[in-house]
Amino acid sequence: MSVNDSLVVVVLAQAVLYGTPLLYAALGELLAERSGVLNLGVEGMMLFGAAVGYWVTQSVHGADAPVLVLALVGAALSGAAMAAIHAFLTITLRASQIVSGLALTIFAGGLGLSAYFGAELDLASLPVTHQFASLDVLGLADLPVLGPILFDQSALVYASWVLTLLVAVYLGRTRWGLNVRAVGEAPASADAMGINVTRYRYIHVLVGGALAGIGGACFSLSIIPNWFAGDSLVNGAGWIAIALVIFAFWRPGICLVGAYLFGGLSALPSALQAHGVTIPPEFLYSLPYVMTIVVLVVVSTSLAKRRLGAPAALGIPYVREER
Amino acid sequence: MGESTPVRGANGRGAGSSGASPIPAVRMVEVTKRFPGVLANDAVSFEAAPGEVHALLGENGAGKTTLSNILTGLYRPDEGQIELFGEAVHFHSPRDALDAGICMVHQHFRLVEPFTVAENVVLGDHRSEGKSFFVHSPAIERRVAELGEQYGLGVHPRSRIWQLSVGEQQRVEILKALYREARILIMDEPTAVLTPQEAEALFVTLRAMAEEGKTVIFISHKLHEVTAVADRVTVLRGGRTVETVMASDATQRSLAALMVGREVDLGRSPERKQKPSGDVVLELDGVRVPGDRGGEALKGVALVLRSGEIVAVAGVAGNGQRELAETISGMRASSAGTIRVGARELHPGDPRDAIKAGVAHIPEDRLGTGLAPSLSISRNAAFKTYRTAPISWGPFLAVKRMAELARSLIKRYDVKAPGPETPARNLSGGNLQKLMLGREFHGDPKVLIAAQPTRGLDVGAIETVHGFLRDAASNGVAVLLISEDLDEILALADRVVVMYEGAIVGELDAASATVEELGYLMAGGEAR
Amino acid sequence: MIRLERRLDQPKWLSVAVPVGSLIAAFAIMAVILAVTGHAPGHTYRQMLEAGFTGNGAFSATLLSATPILFTGLAAAAAFRMQLFNIGAEGQLYLGAVGASWIALKLGDGDAGSTPLYVLAMCVAAGVMGALWALIPGVLRAFANTNEIITSLMLNYVAGFLITYLIFDSSSYWRDVSTLQAQSFPQGKPMPAGAEWPTFGSSVVVPLGFLIGLGVAASLWMLYSRTRFGFEVSVIADSPRAARYAGMRTRRKILAVMAISGGIAGIGGASQIGDFTHTLDPTGLQGAAFGYTGIVVAALARYNPFAVCLVAVLLGGLQNAGFTLQGPDFPSGLVGVMQGIILFCALGGELLIRYRVTISRRARARADTGSAAEPAR
Repeated sequence: MSVNDSLVVVVLAQAVLYGTPLLYAALGELLAERSGVLNLGVEGMMLFGAAVGYWVTQSVHGADAPVLVLALVGAALSGAAMAAIHAFLTITLRASQIVSGLALTIFAGGLGLSAYFGAELDLASLPVTHQFASLDVLGLADLPVLGPILFDQSALVYASWVLTLLVAVYLGRTRWGLNVRAVGEAPASADAMGINVTRYRYIHVLVGGALAGIGGACFSLSIIPNWFAGDSLVNGAGWIAIALVIFAFWRPGICLVGAYLFGGLSALPSALQAHGVTIPPEFLYSLPYVMTIVVLVVVSTSLAKRRLGAPAALGIPYVREER
Repeated sequence: MGESTPVRGANGRGAGSSGASPIPAVRMVEVTKRFPGVLANDAVSFEAAPGEVHALLGENGAGKTTLSNILTGLYRPDEGQIELFGEAVHFHSPRDALDAGICMVHQHFRLVEPFTVAENVVLGDHRSEGKSFFVHSPAIERRVAELGEQYGLGVHPRSRIWQLSVGEQQRVEILKALYREARILIMDEPTAVLTPQEAEALFVTLRAMAEEGKTVIFISHKLHEVTAVADRVTVLRGGRTVETVMASDATQRSLAALMVGREVDLGRSPERKQKPSGDVVLELDGVRVPGDRGGEALKGVALVLRSGEIVAVAGVAGNGQRELAETISGMRASSAGTIRVGARELHPGDPRDAIKAGVAHIPEDRLGTGLAPSLSISRNAAFKTYRTAPISWGPFLAVKRMAELARSLIKRYDVKAPGPETPARNLSGGNLQKLMLGREFHGDPKVLIAAQPTRGLDVGAIETVHGFLRDAASNGVAVLLISEDLDEILALADRVVVMYEGAIVGELDAASATVEELGYLMAGGEAR
Repeated sequence: MIRLERRLDQPKWLSVAVPVGSLIAAFAIMAVILAVTGHAPGHTYRQMLEAGFTGNGAFSATLLSATPILFTGLAAAAAFRMQLFNIGAEGQLYLGAVGASWIALKLGDGDAGSTPLYVLAMCVAAGVMGALWALIPGVLRAFANTNEIITSLMLNYVAGFLITYLIFDSSSYWRDVSTLQAQSFPQGKPMPAGAEWPTFGSSVVVPLGFLIGLGVAASLWMLYSRTRFGFEVSVIADSPRAARYAGMRTRRKILAVMAISGGIAGIGGASQIGDFTHTLDPTGLQGAAFGYTGIVVAALARYNPFAVCLVAVLLGGLQNAGFTLQGPDFPSGLVGVMQGIILFCALGGELLIRYRVTISRRARARADTGSAAEPAR
C-alpha cells in the first residue's frame, strides 16, 4: 500500500474536497458581513444553488466544461436571487437581519423552494450527466502525500484558491475593499465621505449569495454528485460556513484553513468506516457540529481579549435621516 | 508656508468682513427641513464669503447641525435653494457636496476606528491618490504628513484612529478636508472636546485656512469663541435665522440676546453659599479600573465628597471621566481600591449594591443606558424601584402603580409627554433628562453622579437641570458633576477636580479657579 | 421619492391590520408562483382550505398538526422576546421526546400509574430534558459570550444523530427488539396504553397537548407582562446597557429564558409521543421540522403568546393540507415556500408599523406637535 492510500492522506485529500463548498460559502458570507449585513440564509442559498446547478447540467447538452461553467453561473445567479430578497428586506426595509436570514433558510431550504423546484422538474429521478472530475493540471498528482491532497482535485478546488487570494487582495489592498470595510465598521462615516452605503451593502450581499450558490453546487456537481430532496444534501454546511467566518476573525486566509479543518471532520466518518473502524457513525457524523461549537466558544472567549471583533456595524441597519 | 502668522483681531479679518466679494462662496436661501414632529429649519437663509470665518450661532436645537447636514448633502432640504459661488446646486448625496468642495467636521467624528489615519484621509476620495484601483499607502501617508506639517496638525499617518486622543482625531478630520482641497470647511462645535489652549491653536489653523481664501463655517453655541474667531455671525433661533452681524460690531451680550431672544445675565451666579462642611458621604481610595482597550482607565483615583456639596470633574473627553462615573455606580468593576458610601463599602461591579447604598446616576448616554428607548415612560420610571413594594408584590408587578408613579413624576418634574405609556424615545432630550432626574431623586439618594447632564439641551432645560442639581445639594445630597463645559462647572461647583489620563491631577476651589488654570491642568500640566 | 419617517405613535389597529395584510400579500405572491409553475392557484387554495379546515375531520387533523408548532412557536417567542435567538427548538423537542418516552416506558415497566400521572411525568421529564439541552447554548452565551444562534442550531444536528443512534444503531432502552421484524427494521418500543394522551370533543377532536399548549401560552403571557422577571426581560431585550445600569442580572436571565424556551419545546416532544406517534420515531420527528416552523409561527405572531396560538392553528392547517394533498398537484416544498413568503411579508409589513411611508417628495409632515413629541437626539 502506497503512502497515498494511507488513512491520513485520504482524509486530508477529502478534507480539501469537503472543505471547498464551506470555503465558497464562507467567503461569500465574509463579504456580506464585512459590509455590515449578517445573512443567516446561507444554508438555504446553498440548497437552492445545488438544485439549480444540477438542473442546468440536466437541461443543457454539450461537453463537460461549458455545461459545468453554465451550471455554476446558474447556481451563482440563483444564490444571488435568494440573497436579493434578504438584501431588500434588511437594507431597504430595515427588517431584522437575523429573522430575515432564518426566513430565507426556511424559504429556500430543503423543505421549501429547492424541494419545490426539484419536485417540479423531477430532478431526483435524473441520473448524473456532468460532474467535476479531478484535474491533474501540473502532472503532480502522483507526488507522495502532497499529490492527492493538492494536485488531484477538481477545477472547483483550484478556483477556490484563486478566489481566496482575490478576496484577500480586494479587501486589503483595493479602494473598493477599503470602502466596504468602512461601510461595515462605520456606515455613517462612510456615508459622510461620499460612499454609497446602500449600494455597497446590496452588492456584497448579492455576491455573498452567488458564492453560497456555487458552494451548494459543489455538493450536487462534485461531492455527491447527485440531487435529492431534503436538507441532507448540504446538511448544515451553510451554518458551519457562518461559524467559519467568526472562526476566521473575518479574514479570508484563515477561512481557507478553517474550511479544510471542518472539511476533514466531515470526511472522517466515511474514511474511518472504509478502514474498518467500528465507532457508531452517529458519533462521527456529530463531530463537525460539535467541533463548530467548541471552536466558537474558544474564539468568542479570545475575541473578548483581543481587538479582533466583528465589523462594528454588523447586523445594524443604516438609517441616515433618523434623529 | 508660515511666513504670515495669522492673528485674531481686526487686521486678520478676511475679505468677508469688508463685504467686498460680490459672489458668496455659500448662499442658502429659505431652506426648510422637517423631521417627524419637528420643524428643524424654517426658511433659513445665510451667506458666507470666500476667505471668511462665518459663525453659525445658536443654542442646542436651533437648527445649526441640520443646516450643515443639508449643506453637506446628508439631508435633502424640503424647500429652499443652495448656491455655491453663484451657482445653484442640488446635492443628492454627500459625494456631490464633497465634489463641490464642501467638507464638514462633525461633532461626533466621522472616522473609521480600526483604520489608519492615512486610510481615513483617503476614504471615499476618487480624485487624486484615491482614484487608483489599488490603495498606495506610502504616497498617501507622505501627503498626509506634509499637510500635517504645513498646518501644524501633527499626527502619525500610520496610527490607528482608536489609538489617538480626541484632539488628535479632530486633526485627522481637518486633514481630510485639506487633503481634498476643500473650499468650504464646516466645523460643528469643534471646541467641545478640546482644552481652552487646544481651542486657541485650532482657531489659528482656521484663520490660516481663511487667509488662503477658504470659507470656514464655524458652528457653536459659545459666545466667546464666536467673537474670537469669526468675521461674521449668523444667529439661529428655533430653526429660523435671526440676524447676521459683523463679529467686530457685536458683543457677547448682544449676541446672547439674539440667540436666546431676551436679555440674559452672563455673569457667574453671585449668591455662593458658604463652604458646606457636611459628613463624608462618598469616599474613593486608590481606585483602579482596566480600560476597554487595554491599559488602565483609572489609575488610583482618590476622591472625597461631603454631603451638600457639588464637586465637578473637569477634563478633556476620554481621560477617565466616564469610567469614573460607571465605576462608582457599579456598572464597571474596579481592579483595586475601595469605594465607600457612608460607612458601607460597595461591591465592585455591582450596580444593584450601589443603588441600595443610595448612589443615583445620570449617565451621559441618556437613551440606551439611563433609559430603555422603546419601553414606556412608566416602565422606565420604575427602573430603580420595581424590586420592592408598592411597585411589586412578590414576583408580580403592580402595573397600575407603575403608571401612577410615572404620572406623578411627569407632573412633579414637568415632563412634557402625552402619557405614561409613551415610549421614551419619543421624548426630547430635556424631557428625558427631567424624567431621569425625577426617577433618581425619587429614591432619596445620598450621592448623585451627573455625567454631562446638560449636553445637547436647550437653554430652558439647562436652567432646569442646574436648578435640580443645586436643590439636590441643598437637600444634603453629595453631587458629582462630570462635565466638559467649563462655564457650567464654574457656575455650579464648590470644588473642581481635574482628570488627566485616568488620574486626578489637581483640585481647585471653584470660587477662585480660572478657565486658563483649568485648561492648563486638563492638558496634563503640573499643578501650580 | 419614497421617504420613511419613524412613527411617533403606533396605532393599535396597525398591529392587527399589518399581519393580516401580510398574509393576504403572501397568498397573492404564492398565487403568482403557482400560476407560473403551471398550477391553478384558485384550485390549489380551495383544496388547501378543504384539507386544512372545512373538510370532514380536517380541523381535528389541523389541531393535531398545530400542537407541536404551538409549542415550538411558544419556545421561540419566549427566547426571541429577549433578543435571545434560540433556534434549537428542533433539537430540544427531540430531547423532550426522548425524556417523555423514557419515563413512560419506565412507568409502563413498573405497571404503575394512571393516565394523569403519565401525562404529568412525561411533561416534567420532557421539560427537563429540553431545558437542559437548551442550557448548553444558554451557558455558552451567558459565560463565554458565544453566539447562541449557531450553537443552538448545531445542537439540532447532534440531537438528530442522537435519536437516530438510539433507535437505529444501538440496542438502547428505547428500541423495540421484541420481534424478528423489529430487529431488522429498527423502530421504537410502543408506549404503554396509559401513556396515550386523551382527546376532547367529538365533532372537532382536540388533543390534550393542544390544551396544555394554550395553558403554557397563558402562563407565558403572565410571566412576561405581569412579573418582575418579565419586566427585566423586556429591559434586557431593549437595551442590555440599561439593564446593567438598573442592576439587573443579565446572565441569570439568559439562563432562565433559555431553560424556559427549551422546556416548552421539550413538552412539545412529550406531546408528540403522547398525542401522536406513541413511540420514539427519529425519522418522523426529523422530517417534520417542527422547530423551524416554530420560528415562522413566533415571528408572524410578533412574539405574542396569544397570537402564537392563532398562528399555530393557521400554519398547522397549512401543514396538514400539505401532508394530505402531497402529490403532483401539490408538490413537496410548497408548504416551506409558503411559510417563507408569509414570513418575508410579515417582516416587510413590520416596516409599516414602525415607519410612515410617504411617496411624494413634498408631503407635509406634521410640524406642530410641539416639544413634547420631539424625538430625542
